[in-house]
Amino acid sequence: MTSTRNDRPDTDVDVVVVGGGTAGCVVAARLSEDPSRRVLLLEEGPDPQPIPPIVSDPKRQSELILESPYVRMYDVERSDGSSFPLLSGRIMGGGSSVNNLAVVRPMRVDFDAWATYGGDAWSYDALLPLLRAIEDDPDFGDDPIHGSGGPLHLERSYRLDETVDPPVRALIAAAGDAGLPPCHDLNVPDPIGVCASPYNIVDGRRQSTAVAYLEPARGRPNLRIRADTTVVRVLLEAGRACGLEVRDPDGRTATIGARQVVVAGGVFHSPQLLIRSGIGPSDELTAHGIAPRVVREGVGRGYQDHAVVYVTFQGTTELREDYVIPKVRLIAKSDPDRATPDLHVFMQPSIRMEGLPPLLPVSVRLLEHRATGRVRLASADPDELPIVEPALLQHPGDVEAMAGGIAFVRELVGHPALAEFYGDLVNPEPDADMLEHILSSYISYYHGVGTCRIGAADDPLAVVDAGLRVHGVDGLWVADASVLPTVPHANTNLAAIMVGELGARAVAAA
Amino acid sequence: MRLEGTIDIAAPPEAVWAVIIDPRDLAACVPGVSDVRQLDERTFEGSVRASVGPIDGDFAFRSVLATLSYPDELVVDVEGTDSVTKSRVVAHIEAGLSSTSDESTTLAYRATVTTKGRLAIIGDMVLRATAGMMIGQVTKCLRSRLETPA
Repeated sequence: MTSTRNDRPDTDVDVVVVGGGTAGCVVAARLSEDPSRRVLLLEEGPDPQPIPPIVSDPKRQSELILESPYVRMYDVERSDGSSFPLLSGRIMGGGSSVNNLAVVRPMRVDFDAWATYGGDAWSYDALLPLLRAIEDDPDFGDDPIHGSGGPLHLERSYRLDETVDPPVRALIAAAGDAGLPPCHDLNVPDPIGVCASPYNIVDGRRQSTAVAYLEPARGRPNLRIRADTTVVRVLLEAGRACGLEVRDPDGRTATIGARQVVVAGGVFHSPQLLIRSGIGPSDELTAHGIAPRVVREGVGRGYQDHAVVYVTFQGTTELREDYVIPKVRLIAKSDPDRATPDLHVFMQPSIRMEGLPPLLPVSVRLLEHRATGRVRLASADPDELPIVEPALLQHPGDVEAMAGGIAFVRELVGHPALAEFYGDLVNPEPDADMLEHILSSYISYYHGVGTCRIGAADDPLAVVDAGLRVHGVDGLWVADASVLPTVPHANTNLAAIMVGELGARAVAAA
Repeated sequence: MRLEGTIDIAAPPEAVWAVIIDPRDLAACVPGVSDVRQLDERTFEGSVRASVGPIDGDFAFRSVLATLSYPDELVVDVEGTDSVTKSRVVAHIEAGLSSTSDESTTLAYRATVTTKGRLAIIGDMVLRATAGMMIGQVTKCLRSRLETPA
């Protein structure tokens, strides 16, 4: 296994991309399409070549998350003092190298929301051509809303109309009676129903952005890639980014000059790097003794994510993994009077323990949140992880929506078709305080956004403009999911890829 | 994760106490526990096997009876490691007995379980999902062993 580190100094590049995550790989690959542009991609994690099977083989997903060195955990606290982890990918490709491979577009309402911060350029109609250009979707091909020939191949391995698995048939029947239709394509602008999930897999191999975007670009003489490299700070001169201070694994520091700097460290590390560079809220800069260069109160604020709560039923049978989500998911509403679905519901694989009947968890994933959290520095040390205060379920309306989702699930599994598989509720116990269960057990769907969000210069919490340039600094962009001002009603990987594409276009046009 | 509750058993407190302070005896009532071995007067080892979807794991634990003060204070500290993620789990369990008559005992328990490491990604969900049913099985087992049929 080798890394693409090299010993030549990387001075005088045109563009340096900080972070080889989901979006960073897209930015570097797109910008290096122009052979006259010298691009350097820096990643703090490793860049193993060939990609190890534990990463590339989707069948080893559980092993990848639970055992591999490529996942980083951030312990966060609930309001009752208990804790749960947030996760990120620490390898070339970032989250796209460790996620569950779902290719889910944001809904139309998400683009509508983002357009209120970023203008018409962020509307669904404006971004649909880009979404189509990203994908290669053989199930729908080159139709008005899908694309073919793009770098990201996706396919639906599990067609609802072909399935013969009894539990999925039962789920489709029960959901149908609950008003949820079969949904063969969840990438329509307003999806709802029992949906077959599309995945970015080709011939059994994960299509992370390190594969779909970066792999074809690796041979370009104008693209250099350095893994295992820590970026200490962005260097600023006369209101303009002019390079980076970096540190290699041996602790040697160096500076890299660049005309343009793109920060793509992800929702936790992009704000961390900006603050270390003197671009951030005044209280954070003061607290850590960092000389302020540009005070932007929004850096690190605005964190949003999806909360997940499990409810578990006694099983009348085991559900093996072949039967269950993530191949099929429900996109549903916590309240039937809502205009927009706000839930993903997954029937999870069974838990088995000697002496107990099989237990069948169902996860309820709330797709919108009113409260916003924050990412702060633990210290100015680049080796120290930031402190994340996710503020999940901190708004009474969000808790109410989660409770509505759980009530929906309890009613759903009581349907005669599903009662063949699902028995009594065992966690929480049927007479337990549901509010207490929600607030003491929620975890994350790992879809953080918002810590460097877009907005106008006079918006006190905006960090970047609609073209992703950092307010108050020339030559500096942020291009990852941290710029999204609200968490989408979808998994965030595709949104992050879209932001990477937008970032590359913005830098190329500057 | 915190667990708290009571179990009513129609048996004398001395009989209940004798079972709950003997991990080998108690383990026979706890689903999934096997290979319990006594290391010294107050220290025991054992394992628990559980599966979640395609993941099969063993949890090897060591428990120490930290406080034994009949009838109202039993403190047990449990530490262990799972075979899949090598994560560390620490549990602190407090229990006590009260009785309203010679033949009626209430066992009150309070436990805090903390998971450190990758197991935290799924371990909390598994613990919550199984805890209620395990306690139900323990209750049923204790009653069956200690209560005299009417």
